[in-house]
Amino acid sequence: MSAKENRLTAGRKGLPGIGQDTHVLTIIGLMILVCIIMLLLRPEAYFTGLNLRSMIFQFPEYGILALGMMACMIAGGIDLSLVGIMNFTGVLAALIVKNMVIIENGEVTNPAMVVPAVVLACAVAIAVGAACGAFNGFIIGYFQLPAMLVTLCGLQLYTGLAYGITGGPAINGMCDAFKNIANGNVPGTPIPWVLVIFIAVLAVVVFIMKCTVFGHEIYFLGSNAKAAMYSGINTLKVTIMTYMFSGILGGISGILITSHLNSAKSSNGSTYTLLSLLIVVLGGVHPDGGKGRVVGVVLAVLLLQMIANAFGLMHMSDNAKTFANGCLLIAALVLSVVLDKRAAKKAAAAS
Amino acid sequence: MSEEVFLKLEGIKKSFGGVHALKGVDLEIRKGEIHCLAGENGCGKSTLIKAISGVHNADEGSIWIDGEKVEKMKPMDAINRGIQVIYQDFAVFPNLTVAENIALNGELKNKVKFVNWKQIHETAAKAMEQVGANIDPDVKLERLSVANKQMVAICRAIINDAKLLILDEPTTALTAREVDKLWDIVRGLKKKGIAVMIVNHKLDEIYRIADRLTILRNGAYVSSGPISEYDQARFTRDMTGHDVSEDKYHPAAQEEEILRVEHLTRKGAFEDVSFTLNKGDVLGLTGLLGSGRGEIGEALFGIAPADSGKVVLNGKEITIKSVADAMANDIGYVPEDRLTQGLFMERSIQDNTIASSIRRYMKGGRLDEQAMEDVTRHWIDEIGIVAPSPKPAVRTLSGGNAQKVVIAKWLNTEPKLFILDGPTVGVDVGAKAEIHAILHNLAQKGIGIIVISDDLPELVQNCNKIVVMRDGKVAAAIDNNIDEISLSNLLIGANEEEVEQK
Repeated sequence: MSAKENRLTAGRKGLPGIGQDTHVLTIIGLMILVCIIMLLLRPEAYFTGLNLRSMIFQFPEYGILALGMMACMIAGGIDLSLVGIMNFTGVLAALIVKNMVIIENGEVTNPAMVVPAVVLACAVAIAVGAACGAFNGFIIGYFQLPAMLVTLCGLQLYTGLAYGITGGPAINGMCDAFKNIANGNVPGTPIPWVLVIFIAVLAVVVFIMKCTVFGHEIYFLGSNAKAAMYSGINTLKVTIMTYMFSGILGGISGILITSHLNSAKSSNGSTYTLLSLLIVVLGGVHPDGGKGRVVGVVLAVLLLQMIANAFGLMHMSDNAKTFANGCLLIAALVLSVVLDKRAAKKAAAAS
Repeated sequence: MSEEVFLKLEGIKKSFGGVHALKGVDLEIRKGEIHCLAGENGCGKSTLIKAISGVHNADEGSIWIDGEKVEKMKPMDAINRGIQVIYQDFAVFPNLTVAENIALNGELKNKVKFVNWKQIHETAAKAMEQVGANIDPDVKLERLSVANKQMVAICRAIINDAKLLILDEPTTALTAREVDKLWDIVRGLKKKGIAVMIVNHKLDEIYRIADRLTILRNGAYVSSGPISEYDQARFTRDMTGHDVSEDKYHPAAQEEEILRVEHLTRKGAFEDVSFTLNKGDVLGLTGLLGSGRGEIGEALFGIAPADSGKVVLNGKEITIKSVADAMANDIGYVPEDRLTQGLFMERSIQDNTIASSIRRYMKGGRLDEQAMEDVTRHWIDEIGIVAPSPKPAVRTLSGGNAQKVVIAKWLNTEPKLFILDGPTVGVDVGAKAEIHAILHNLAQKGIGIIVISDDLPELVQNCNKIVVMRDGKVAAAIDNNIDEISLSNLLIGANEEEVEQK
């Protein structure tokens, strides 16, 4: 009999709140550190309303991708195809808007079509995102293939489809209404639409992960897929639904990035795959699955946006930023292992 | 048999975390003897082996090998002093040939840089001759039977001048004839002056082979002596700490039928299995490893459904083609391996408890957190799980408490038929009795209970009906008026009539 099995210890008292979550504390600490550094170096540029706005316009598109990545990783998998789904759905949305709303000399000739076109584009993007995700989930769950390989193939597949549609060059020049999704404010207020969309998506994700059977099943699946099966959980269904959920978030990101850049092509946001992975691990989602909280992931999104923005203001190259992100990712991985070991030791000592 | 002592242990203590796995164990193994180490599951046998082989270092106590006191022993030190352990899984390489398996370890140990194939074959041939095995040296190991894999492991162990060979539960997967063959080999090794320590708790097998016996219980030394000093009563008393025959489960016979299984067959696993279970019955299902005992449980729970046959539960014929079917018919199943199949170790007791019944806590579009917590508290009290609250991860619980959580998970689905595969493996004596009491209680309430187990004392004590499987078929279905030795004979191939005549 192993020692682990034998060990009887009192668990932590009460619900683990933010105060006890070391990952969350670490991220908040790093945020404060970034603020202090920028306070010393460039306070006049960093701490301005203008800079805050520019950050808000940037993070939602990859923040939403990271939420999809989070769901898959908590379920014990990974979704490397998210950027592929994002660009594929973005291209489809752009194509619909471009074809339905005709612009001549900068004027919309058929204004009645604007709202239906934008709504249809969004609906198609989300539906196609769901279909792509469900396909990933089916291949992973039914054939029991590693999620990393399947979604890597998915990335190639969906990027290829996007490329096939555009033939290479970007689709540009959509109507203002579409552009406004990611660039405009809620009428009569200074609040950007993207912020509203991000918060709404976040609320839905939190609700699903915490308050639904599906959310609990994601945790069960990631914690022990075999035990989930033996507990009567339909693991294939949960796997498909998890990747579908991720695909839907990929579709929403597709709408946002296409609107944001007012341009759609197969190679947009190619750095987001690794970025979203970094965010999720930094946010305390365990690489083996089963553990992780939305609050950690959201804070990690904000932290990385603050860092990216700081690098930008310091006129440092993207390479330096990539290097710094790599360091952060390794540090986050090491930290999660060290924390696990320390918790195990503590549990041993407590008994 | 010489009186000279090869290995001596005195007052060995070892704890993990706060749990005392060994609480002062003495053991003496003489040169060239066959010594049996017996004890119930979880009594510390495995930990003791690991202390002898240098995998664990004892916290207290001393070890003498060949009259020399040894301290801070590492696995390599034990091997160099002639101690070889063959674990239950044999630790062989399935993708290598017999000759490679036998000889490669020695090559690695001697730090040979280039593989000399001729020498490998010679070493293997020599080892097999010594042991008396006759296996094609060029066959890949994965194609061998369990008994032959074990043979290869023994060959490998003795090539490095072994003086003590430790076999951990060597007979669990062997048929009667294979056990005989193994005992022949063990006797042969004894003639060559090699001491053999066999970990086993099957009394009849011990009588046939051992010179001397040491019994452990709950991590502590109980008794030791020549096998002739032990009769069945003493053996059982020393193993369990009480006289077993006193508290057999004997429910009042009831006519109301709960489950009837007729001609259940799954090709390659079991065939034509029939039995019935009446209200109040605890039905035991046993057999050797690979006899189909576990597969019947998996078929009834829909994990590996049967191809044909009829299952009638509470008077209604049901079809089980998937886990969902089984659950729709209120069947619960505690799987054999609770760590990998039964539990979400990192999740809380609460999450584990509601894992199979989570849908009923969906109220007004969201999960009712309070109701889930309340029901978990209810089960913690009801079946005596030792835990401060529903929140700690199951990882922090002891084996017995963790198993109770698996049981709670299914009780919360209100099953009508409850199948438990190895319900008390790795569970300490106290919790074991509590789990048995829970099962008896459920049976009295009219829930059909099937206990699948190879723990014969457990079956004899707790089941009023026992179905014995052999090679996928029902070898015997008996009302429980049998003792462990007869049951064990049934398992390995004696006929029902022969056993009854004894």
